[in-house]
Amino acid sequence: MIAIVQEIIDETPDTKTFRLAFEDKEYAKSFEWEPGQFVEVTVFGAGEAPIGFASDPNERSFFELTVVERGKVTRAMHALKKGEKVGIRGPFGNCWPLEDMKGKDVLIVSGGCGLAPLRPAILQILANRKEYGNFLLLYGARTPADRNYKYDLDAWAKRDDMQVLETVDVGDENWKGNVGVVTTLFDKMKVDGENTVALTCGPPIMIKFVTLELLKMGFSEDRIVTSQERYMKCGVGKCGHCCINHVYLCTEGPVFTYAQMKELFELKL
Amino acid sequence: MKKDYSILKKSDVPAFFASLANEMQLIGPKQLFAGDVTFDVIQSHKDIYWDYGHVVYPPKRFLLPHFEDMFRYTCDEQIKIEPTCNPQPQAIVAIRSCDVAAIRFQENFFSYPIVDPYYKERLNNTVLFNLVCNTPPKEECFCICCDSGPWLESGFDVQLTDLGDRFLYEVGSDKGEKATEPRAYMLLPATPADIEARRQIELQADSRFQTVSYLAKAINFISADEVPAKIWEDLGSTCFRCGACTNLCPVCTCFTVDDREEPDGTFTRCRSWDSCQYAGFTREASGHNPRPTFGSRVARRFYHKTSYQYIIRDGRHGCVGCGRCITACLTKLGLPDVVKRIRREMHEFLPPKEKAAEV
Repeated sequence: MIAIVQEIIDETPDTKTFRLAFEDKEYAKSFEWEPGQFVEVTVFGAGEAPIGFASDPNERSFFELTVVERGKVTRAMHALKKGEKVGIRGPFGNCWPLEDMKGKDVLIVSGGCGLAPLRPAILQILANRKEYGNFLLLYGARTPADRNYKYDLDAWAKRDDMQVLETVDVGDENWKGNVGVVTTLFDKMKVDGENTVALTCGPPIMIKFVTLELLKMGFSEDRIVTSQERYMKCGVGKCGHCCINHVYLCTEGPVFTYAQMKELFELKL
Repeated sequence: MKKDYSILKKSDVPAFFASLANEMQLIGPKQLFAGDVTFDVIQSHKDIYWDYGHVVYPPKRFLLPHFEDMFRYTCDEQIKIEPTCNPQPQAIVAIRSCDVAAIRFQENFFSYPIVDPYYKERLNNTVLFNLVCNTPPKEECFCICCDSGPWLESGFDVQLTDLGDRFLYEVGSDKGEKATEPRAYMLLPATPADIEARRQIELQADSRFQTVSYLAKAINFISADEVPAKIWEDLGSTCFRCGACTNLCPVCTCFTVDDREEPDGTFTRCRSWDSCQYAGFTREASGHNPRPTFGSRVARRFYHKTSYQYIIRDGRHGCVGCGRCITACLTKLGLPDVVKRIRREMHEFLPPKEKAAEV
């Protein structure tokens, strides 16, 4: 389906958020998605790429995709202007287990643009804040300039119903917060490993160390939930690129618990 | 459906396929100028090279083309999208049992859980005339280990067995029935002697194989992730990453998708064959590659071919024993050799007690 770029938000030097609305208003009404899912975006003339939803799932008049400029399609996407058209297929994939998490504390650990697929989950939890226990967000970026959703992070930090801890790998003269990888924030937080569900997304190396630390803290394997990344083409389990063991990430993932990851040999830590 | 045997006399074969050619495009084994035989479009039924033995290049491309245009679009003010897939009726004549089994595997893969309309549409328009192998199998053939030949119980539309001056003609599907009907007058009823002659051919065929692949144990090791990375790395160390194994494999389906600019300024979305043996197959835009080594990619290929998880998922293991990966590989990374090396080298990894039991 054809969608129109309504708004482009500069997040970091190489990342933009695109606000998109379907041309066909009837289709827009029927278009439902869950936090954690993704769409295949066609930038006409360049190709197609899978991008995760990054906006509030309850907002039905538009959705947002956060895109880092890396390959052919994302480069072409960054060249788009307001009012231009893209093609959308989807939604694809599974979602964060937000229903099952009700009544529990929530810990979100994210790095870099890994915050994008978690943002709908955060917004959903905040919209139903009473149904969850303590809510803690850890976020790591390379430098202060590489922080995604600065406006959200600053607003969330001011809320008294959630706690936000941030870190950067390399600070600058204005940065007064923590410096170090995201796991260095673990000393500063108090979580009840028995009653908390952890959602994590970020670079593979971050997911690895976060998972190892969480296991040490007493999180059970089915309470550590990650969104995995793989090179992907078709989105419907046919092209074979995203397949890990016999599981096609685009149809059965990208969200897996560590208990499930262990069964997929390549994701075992 | 009830098995129905008839006889097609070889003297009637030209008329039969000339008549079929009026209804659909014929694809069949064709001898090229230099003497090589390959599956190609048959212009005249006379070009069907019946005594071809085996071909290196499978007829996979007639159902899953190297480059398949999916749709075309314009980038003007109004985005216009036009479908380009319009498969015409075709018959693949004198295809071998292993390749038919591979097509059934692909059919299953492309139908479940999500239907691939491009493959499905092509296959719906294709009739398979299987020719039973009663020539000696080539050195690399091991279909007998893979439940995919030399003759088939099911899966074919029509199956032909060469009985000298005549073919035993079996119809195996509604599609086969439909393709036979207008020419049914050319068929004669089969006699018990014809059926006995075929049984004898089957019995002989069983004893002729030179290559065997004892898959079961390797399937166990691979399914349970028990093959140490070192064995895979040793195997991978000889891989030239040419991709010939996956390109020649009649079962392999992986593809990539690109948008191609046409001279008239429109764009075509095109899918083309890809190979899990290439480093770029899993390399992400960030540069991170979850399968960074040759060994990890070879492990991936054999996991897909032989693991229980895939057998459950796809109804059979992903090898039909055609032996093409053996023919193609410069360094013996064909399935039987890998299975043999896994069995042998795993033996060295096992503790002494189990080792004794293993011998």
